[in-house]
Amino acid sequence: MKKVLGIFMILLLFMLAACSQGTTKTSESAKTEEKSEETTGEATETEEKELPKVAFVYIGVPGDGGWTYEHDQARKLVDETFGITSTTVENVPEGPDAERVIEELAQDHDIIFTTSFGYMDPTFNVAQKYPEVLFMHATGYKTAENMGTYQGRGYQPAYLAGIAAGMLSLNNKIGYVGAFPLPEVIYTINAFTLGAQSVNPDAEVSVVWSNTWFDPTTERQAAVSLLDQGVDVLANYQDSPAGIQAAAERGVWGMGNDSDMNEYAPETYVTNPILNWGPYYVDVVQSVIDETWKSEAVFYGFKEGMVELAPFGKNVPQEVQDAVEAKKKEIVDGTFDIFKGPIYDQAGNIKINDGETLADPDILSMNWFVKGVKGTIPAE
Amino acid sequence: MDTAIILMSAAISAGTPLLFAVLGGILNEKVGVINLGTEGIMLIGAVTSCIVFLQTENLFLTFLAALLASAGLGLIHAFVCISLRANQIVSGLAITLFGTGFSAYLGKSVAGSALPVSVPKIELSWLEPIPFIGRVFGNLDIFSWLCIFVAIVMYFYMYKTSWGLHLKAVGDSPSTSDVMGVSVDGYRYFHVILGSMLMGLSGFYLIMVYSPNWIEGMTAGRGWIAIALIIFARWNPLYALACAYFFGGLDALGFRFQLLEVAIPSYFLKMIPYIATIIVLMFVGWKNRHKPPIEPKALGVPYFREQRF
Amino acid sequence: MSQRTSIEQATVEIKTSNKGVFPYRFEYNPHKKTNSFIVPIVSTIVALILCAIFIVINGMNPLTVYGKMVQGAFGSSFGISETLLKATPLLLCALGVGIAYRISIWNIGAEGQFILGAIGATAVTIFLPNLPGPLYIPLMVVAGIIFGGLWGLFTAIPRTYFRVNELITSLMLNYVALLLLDYLVFEPWRDPEGFNFPGTPLFTPFQMLATIGGTRLNQGLIIAVVAVSVFTFLLAKTKWGYELRLLGANPTAAAYSGIKVNKHILLVMMISGGLAGLAGSIEVSGVAHRLMYGISPGYGYTAIIVAWLAKLNPFAMIFTSIFIGGLIVGGYSVQTIGLPSSMSLMLQGAILLCLIAGEMLSKFRLRKATGEE
Repeated sequence: MKKVLGIFMILLLFMLAACSQGTTKTSESAKTEEKSEETTGEATETEEKELPKVAFVYIGVPGDGGWTYEHDQARKLVDETFGITSTTVENVPEGPDAERVIEELAQDHDIIFTTSFGYMDPTFNVAQKYPEVLFMHATGYKTAENMGTYQGRGYQPAYLAGIAAGMLSLNNKIGYVGAFPLPEVIYTINAFTLGAQSVNPDAEVSVVWSNTWFDPTTERQAAVSLLDQGVDVLANYQDSPAGIQAAAERGVWGMGNDSDMNEYAPETYVTNPILNWGPYYVDVVQSVIDETWKSEAVFYGFKEGMVELAPFGKNVPQEVQDAVEAKKKEIVDGTFDIFKGPIYDQAGNIKINDGETLADPDILSMNWFVKGVKGTIPAE
Repeated sequence: MDTAIILMSAAISAGTPLLFAVLGGILNEKVGVINLGTEGIMLIGAVTSCIVFLQTENLFLTFLAALLASAGLGLIHAFVCISLRANQIVSGLAITLFGTGFSAYLGKSVAGSALPVSVPKIELSWLEPIPFIGRVFGNLDIFSWLCIFVAIVMYFYMYKTSWGLHLKAVGDSPSTSDVMGVSVDGYRYFHVILGSMLMGLSGFYLIMVYSPNWIEGMTAGRGWIAIALIIFARWNPLYALACAYFFGGLDALGFRFQLLEVAIPSYFLKMIPYIATIIVLMFVGWKNRHKPPIEPKALGVPYFREQRF
Repeated sequence: MSQRTSIEQATVEIKTSNKGVFPYRFEYNPHKKTNSFIVPIVSTIVALILCAIFIVINGMNPLTVYGKMVQGAFGSSFGISETLLKATPLLLCALGVGIAYRISIWNIGAEGQFILGAIGATAVTIFLPNLPGPLYIPLMVVAGIIFGGLWGLFTAIPRTYFRVNELITSLMLNYVALLLLDYLVFEPWRDPEGFNFPGTPLFTPFQMLATIGGTRLNQGLIIAVVAVSVFTFLLAKTKWGYELRLLGANPTAAAYSGIKVNKHILLVMMISGGLAGLAGSIEVSGVAHRLMYGISPGYGYTAIIVAWLAKLNPFAMIFTSIFIGGLIVGGYSVQTIGLPSSMSLMLQGAILLCLIAGEMLSKFRLRKATGEE
């Protein structure tokens, strides 16, 4: 019983500390606000309006070198552009914890970016409760009055990466490590395969699912299983560079996803499709300041600058680079569409009729592999 | 044949980090101390290796640093469990929490930096002519060999020397060993710290050989699997060798089944070792139901000299 | 022979180095009465000071950080409700492992039992899609308890009839449960409309526990508190509770006095697993509203800490679960003022270590070494 009282005392002590600290904290934060106002005052003299408070929720840590890293780079750009210090909460598991974190942030922020697919329902729930706060959810499909969603056309650079892979492969065996069989990964693999086949009709892409985003050891094992099959180009839809490193050890061309990974395997690195969120985030924050923000489902590609292709590795032949650049121009000016028929699925059935193009909703919910992909999407 | 060679190589490379941690765990548990801090210690070992290697680019110094850092955490666990006789399970969980957090904190500055490391490999050309063995063991890196070496040395230490007997005595019946004049606390300290160092080496191996750049929480639960494997291996270092490779091989096999489009979900494949362990232990338990059990009898029990009756 | 001598030398060396030249020595007295107020407070303060060093190195004011942590966890009705929400599964699991620990059954399988409970509750929604609405919650809760209890039984049977250490079995079954969960949410139970997200479809409103006052707090909290009261009563006032206490104090004597040890172990493990399973079913029906991958962020393991901090006293677990729940919730809050997530893990670890170390340290006293050992 005494023990119970003891613990109760600790709690009480904490409460007291909280109360006494609450005041100090606000005075301190007031100070920093003053400071930041001074600096921004210099930067944007004309800015009269109060700047919005921005928060980001991350599934991993900025140091992951992939997904969260790119979002954090974008966050830095937002901070620089507007002279604000946005809040970040990292390592937030998808599910109940996410809902708490998002709601806590909603209490004293104006815009909240939730940067993982699994945050969709939590974000949606909190958005219902806090109509005056704006929510931006990445890669989902639910929107609300005060909740927008955004996604990069990752398949565009993936197609280009596929061209490079198709040209570099000598034995027509290309490997692909996918994280999870999400539509986002599936359409990336499909575009990659179509790209490879456009220059090398015999190219086959073998797919292995690692079922993880954050486990370099497992990712490496998945990569090695493909390398053992004799693939001579290995692509990865993963956050860590483990697959690229494994490929480099065997002198096999490697490419990854999300961010530039040149430094991990300078000799054998090809290129990476990059998701470049920065300009879009700046636009969103600006539109909030200008009060022109409206809820929409954004699906941006090369043209809008949301996707990019990382600089080529130093050993990639010039002709490959030229071929990719040429195709990139066609994609940017809209003369070339990647998911344009005739496209067949693995069994050889026609999925997109000749001349037809796939509509965005069909791309976003893609659940089949194109012909030339070796691998399975786990059955329902 | 080729498939077998490839699988075996994959099994060794995936099994080695597990094996280091399992061997460390065996040393801990043999003297009667459960160390659930494995995951945290591995992470600290990995992050220390990363930082020191980026500073010095010296593999040997890095090796020593990983040993030292993990010995530090081991010392804390030893002090709390042995000297203070606190609950070993809670202490281990706390070490894992602290180690995970501390490693992430230390690693902030080096996260994402690629390590320009190349671990020397040992080429055994005289093995070449032997089928299978030659291809599998002919070109392993030095730390895989070190791991095998440690397992063999540990086996002889535990079963063929009188230190090993004391070790068993301390884990089975501390009061008896105390009467025999064996320093229970001394043995426990020594082996808990030594075992923690091996766990640290597991982290060292992960980052130096497996995935040469620091990522927060990069062990991804391997420490916990190692704890399970200790039991799977029945506290025997040589069984541990086999178990770790077997386990590594299962991981590799799962991906190959995907490639062959075999309809066995990898989840069930991965369940096999755990369920098999329980069934084997039940079988052994039933067979030996009139004999003394195999696990260290004083496992998890702090030793109070005052309790000697 | 020579080997023998060298061993003795080694042993002596270890002994001397262990004793040292310090003229005082600590003496351990397990029965020493300690001050229940001072020890946990001093331990917590020591841990806070230790971590303050790192916070200062990180360039922040530790008082601001700790203030924010407490504020996040207890400083508003939102914070308090979220902390209680976090404490609910911890409390139920801790109650479960605690009752097993009382009779020296080292169940570390609450994590797996929790997951099985969540699976059980979800199975009701999957396999019985057209039940009358009000039937769902009772069925889901019962299914959770049964699934968790059976998982606990899987740990108990090898222990009672095959002499397999329950520590091993329960740990192994955690992995099996986790893999089973992964299989279910990645393959057969995956929401076909969910863009392949590894989770089941959202539950219908009838399958969700009612919430309390606009927060996410739900009836689960009430269930948990009722469970604590029931157990406090059962342990203190019934013959069963008496037998358990006897068994915990001295199993050999208990066996001689005619208590059926095996029967007790089986029953206790079923209850222990059932409670964790109950927590699992409450988590899916009350908070997550679907079964998804990573449904438990380690509740089963954290519950072990909760149980030990409360010294296995069910009533005290209410407070320790709130304390640990607050630590987790506050740990996320401090990130909003710029502290990395790693720091809160460090803090949790340090506080725990200091608490258990302090608890035991307080039972030592400093004594002048008398020379004889």
